[in-house]
Amino acid sequence: MATIQLSGVEKKFGELHAVKPLDLTINDGEFVVLLGPSGCGKTTTLRMISGLETVTGGRVFLNGEEITWKHPSQRDMAFVFQFYALYSHLSVRQNIAFPLQAQGQKRDIVDKRLKEVVDILHIGHLLSARPGKLSGGDQQRVALARALVRHPAAFLMDEPLGALDAEMRESMRAEIKNLHIAQHATTVYVTHDQVEAMALGDRIVVMSKAEVQQVGTPIEVYYDPANLFVARFIGSPGMNLVASRIAGGAAEMPGGNRYPLPAGWAKPLGGRAEAVLGFRPEAARVSPDGALAGEVYATDMHGGYTVLHVNMAENEIVHIRSDRQTSYPMGTRVRFDIDPKAVRFFDPKSELAVRREAPVRGEVAR
Amino acid sequence: MARFEQHGPRVPVAHATRVDKVNPRAQATRRIVAFIALIIAIIMLLPVLIMGMTAFKTRSDVASSPPKLLFKPTLEGFMYLLTDRAVANASRLAELEANAKQGKLSLFNRIALENGQEIIGPSAYVARLSNSVIIAGISTACSVILGVLAAYAFSRFKVPGKDDLLFFILSTRMLPAVVVTIPLFLMYRQLGLHDKHLGMIILYTVFNLSFSVWLLKGFIDEIPREYEEAALVDGYTRMQAFFRIVLPQAVTGIAATTVFCLIFAWNEYAFALMLTSQRARTAPPSIPSMLGRGGIEWTAIAAGSLGFLIPVVIVTFALRKYLLRGITFGAIRG
Amino acid sequence: MPSINTPVSLPGASLVGRSRRHLSDRAIQNLFIWPTLILLIAVNIFPLLYSLYLSFTNFSAVSGKPPIWVALGNFASILNSEETWRYFAATGRYALMSVGMQTLIGFGLAMLVRRKFFGSGFITTLILVPMMISPVVVGLFWKLIYNPNFGFFNFVLGAGNPARGVDMLASRFAGKPMPGLALIAVVIVDVWMWSPFVMLLVLSGLNAIPEYLYEAAAIDRASPWFQFWRITLPQVSPLLLIAVLFRTIEAFKSFDLIMGMTGGGPGDQTELIAVHLYRQAFLGTFKTGYSSALAYIILIIIIATSNMYIKYLNQIKGEA
Repeated sequence: MATIQLSGVEKKFGELHAVKPLDLTINDGEFVVLLGPSGCGKTTTLRMISGLETVTGGRVFLNGEEITWKHPSQRDMAFVFQFYALYSHLSVRQNIAFPLQAQGQKRDIVDKRLKEVVDILHIGHLLSARPGKLSGGDQQRVALARALVRHPAAFLMDEPLGALDAEMRESMRAEIKNLHIAQHATTVYVTHDQVEAMALGDRIVVMSKAEVQQVGTPIEVYYDPANLFVARFIGSPGMNLVASRIAGGAAEMPGGNRYPLPAGWAKPLGGRAEAVLGFRPEAARVSPDGALAGEVYATDMHGGYTVLHVNMAENEIVHIRSDRQTSYPMGTRVRFDIDPKAVRFFDPKSELAVRREAPVRGEVAR
Repeated sequence: MARFEQHGPRVPVAHATRVDKVNPRAQATRRIVAFIALIIAIIMLLPVLIMGMTAFKTRSDVASSPPKLLFKPTLEGFMYLLTDRAVANASRLAELEANAKQGKLSLFNRIALENGQEIIGPSAYVARLSNSVIIAGISTACSVILGVLAAYAFSRFKVPGKDDLLFFILSTRMLPAVVVTIPLFLMYRQLGLHDKHLGMIILYTVFNLSFSVWLLKGFIDEIPREYEEAALVDGYTRMQAFFRIVLPQAVTGIAATTVFCLIFAWNEYAFALMLTSQRARTAPPSIPSMLGRGGIEWTAIAAGSLGFLIPVVIVTFALRKYLLRGITFGAIRG
Repeated sequence: MPSINTPVSLPGASLVGRSRRHLSDRAIQNLFIWPTLILLIAVNIFPLLYSLYLSFTNFSAVSGKPPIWVALGNFASILNSEETWRYFAATGRYALMSVGMQTLIGFGLAMLVRRKFFGSGFITTLILVPMMISPVVVGLFWKLIYNPNFGFFNFVLGAGNPARGVDMLASRFAGKPMPGLALIAVVIVDVWMWSPFVMLLVLSGLNAIPEYLYEAAAIDRASPWFQFWRITLPQVSPLLLIAVLFRTIEAFKSFDLIMGMTGGGPGDQTELIAVHLYRQAFLGTFKTGYSSALAYIILIIIIATSNMYIKYLNQIKGEA
């Protein structure tokens, strides 16, 4: 049982704001991902929750009780480090048993919990090995086991998959997800990889430059990004963002492209001269009588689909997903359409998303 | 070096902002530690400071018991160290005093006058000191030049028996001076190198060579080969690549090695003691044997020691980043 | 792309227009290494071989007589000489005391200085100065400090009156002989000089320990003892070992310091083996043959220890 609450938590190093005052509630059993590029403050936030970093402002609560100044070992949280932090001179078994022994638990409890955890993570065959001899994935499993064995109220993970190679990362990701579902434990997870965040998180906290940009479910941050940063950061490739002038009920984009404003946008955009039009690559379709046109600049073949880089004009390049396996030669002129339900608009100065009028019936995030 | 696999950044995350490290007790502990460290540093340096003080004392100040902490500084010790004096007869004394009143006497002469003596020339020590400079300088240059060449070859080429050769080179440094000197003494005598500058230069070059090869190899190993390989592909010969690309990048390593070799040659005592007598003798064997009127001339010894160690102290500061590498033959980075 | 060992006669070179004959890698290798090797062999190895020969003779460098072969006679008299064994024992005691104290103090200093505080870098550099000074000079000024009449040592110990105080270098306390005091005096100086070296070595090991190991231990509620034993010590012990080996080798070679401070006295209390060797070979009757034999015995001991040291150094380097 663990609800974590951050209230106005902030961190300054001298004059430098590492984390601007932040409010967040993590519900019991939730998997919350702190996502953002390096230096955005996500790791510092995690460390403040754990006590490895002091707060310069604000308070931290666990189940309603304040823990802001409690010793890291008194918070009933386990921490999984990016570089495993295993004791290389102890065997795997000793590493896992260690937290319990440090608490003075009796031998039979230690053995019982050890067995539980080892079965869950399938590392029974590694018990007598030294951590230094194991692969990265195995080492991280041992680290997870060590965290798990304490039955903590919450798990804090700092880019645990960052040191693994791509293949290992994918399989470990699935394991962590399964583990979370089985254990139903509150987890706070830090990563800079948005693919990971989307796959693992119940909710994602997108951070940049010490500030929270958006908090939402993966679907929310993907389809309704709160600002330009989130739109660009989430998705690979990120959302296409084209500066456009609003005139005569349409968005005018480079190359003489005119896109009539879809239903529900006329009022929110009325009175603006400029807006940034956003759409995801899969929301656009190449079509012979499409409303927009451009020149093919490059094609990325991904096997099952292709991503076209289309130059609308003046080097305004957008990415369009195409089902065709054949590639377009460079320079081909193509026409394309954007799904009106998937279009988003942003204010160019504040970078915030412009809210649509009440959603059109039947519109559902795809 | 790391036994724990160091994937992560080498800069440790702030220790001092951990919740359990930031309380007032932890801070007080840290301050106490800083204070203790300072006290220890002072204690460690005390002998050097005492020596420094002694260099500026008069003979009688040195011999006072309990030892004097406050005294009137004088350059008497330096005068004993650096000059030869003779007792002046009465008429000469009168002459000198007249000159002194007119301000025509140099400082050392004035001090000598107080003892009824006049200066007749530089002491033997001055010659010894210049021997030190010459021999240390030339031998260092030689060992660094030869060293950097050999280090480059060992670093870049698959030399047959490389490990054994390097091992052999290092082990020559482990020999006690006395052991090698016994036969060398005979050899030098036969070759006419005994008590000659050339003999000492050769010896110091060789003894520094093993050290400089090892140290420089460590530095050159760190220069990525890709630079030379790119140059080779561009049409440079290996020699050109060596001179134009590797050497400039190795400059700090070469500088550090040079200074270490200089320090060794400068401080060297045993070889100089055994293989020289008058002409090529360097300063270290000369300092202990400075005898004055009443036995050991402490002020002169202190002055000599101080003068001798000041360059070393300055250089230690300049080299502090490389000290660890230097002492362990480049095996360990600080 | 040429490999390192192919002779460098690239067509590219001629394209660029260099007409100089360029040296092959092989030639450069030889040119760069041989001078060093030749010098080392001439000045180190050859004398050693010569010395080996001499050890089997009764040669004396000052007598005009040619060397006479005495086979193992020198070795026998050395090994039978109670005096020589005494000096070996003194050297052994000296090495043990000195290295032991240096290690403890150096380690303690390192633990003290490990976390950065104001001026820690400066202080660290400051206490490294003693070991950079010529040992004979160090011996000299400690001689002054130890002087029973006007030295600071007695002053600090509170005994200004020499009759009631300690005279380290004469091994006397309150006027009565106390053998072994002089050796301890030398040990103190050696420890003074070299503890910072051990400190530096240990410090570099301490700094290499990633902080997250300690953080994990903190979260796991590990006791400070556990943290020291399981995290700090394993990281630092190889470096400690290097320090111990290195200083032990140096203790056996110890010469300059003794000569500056005691000359082997009082009597022969501080006559370490290297000093004794010097006395046999270069003072008195110049017993060249005899001392060559002694030199060889010392050499074998030192080579054995150095071997260990160098192999260990390489191992560390390999792991790095």
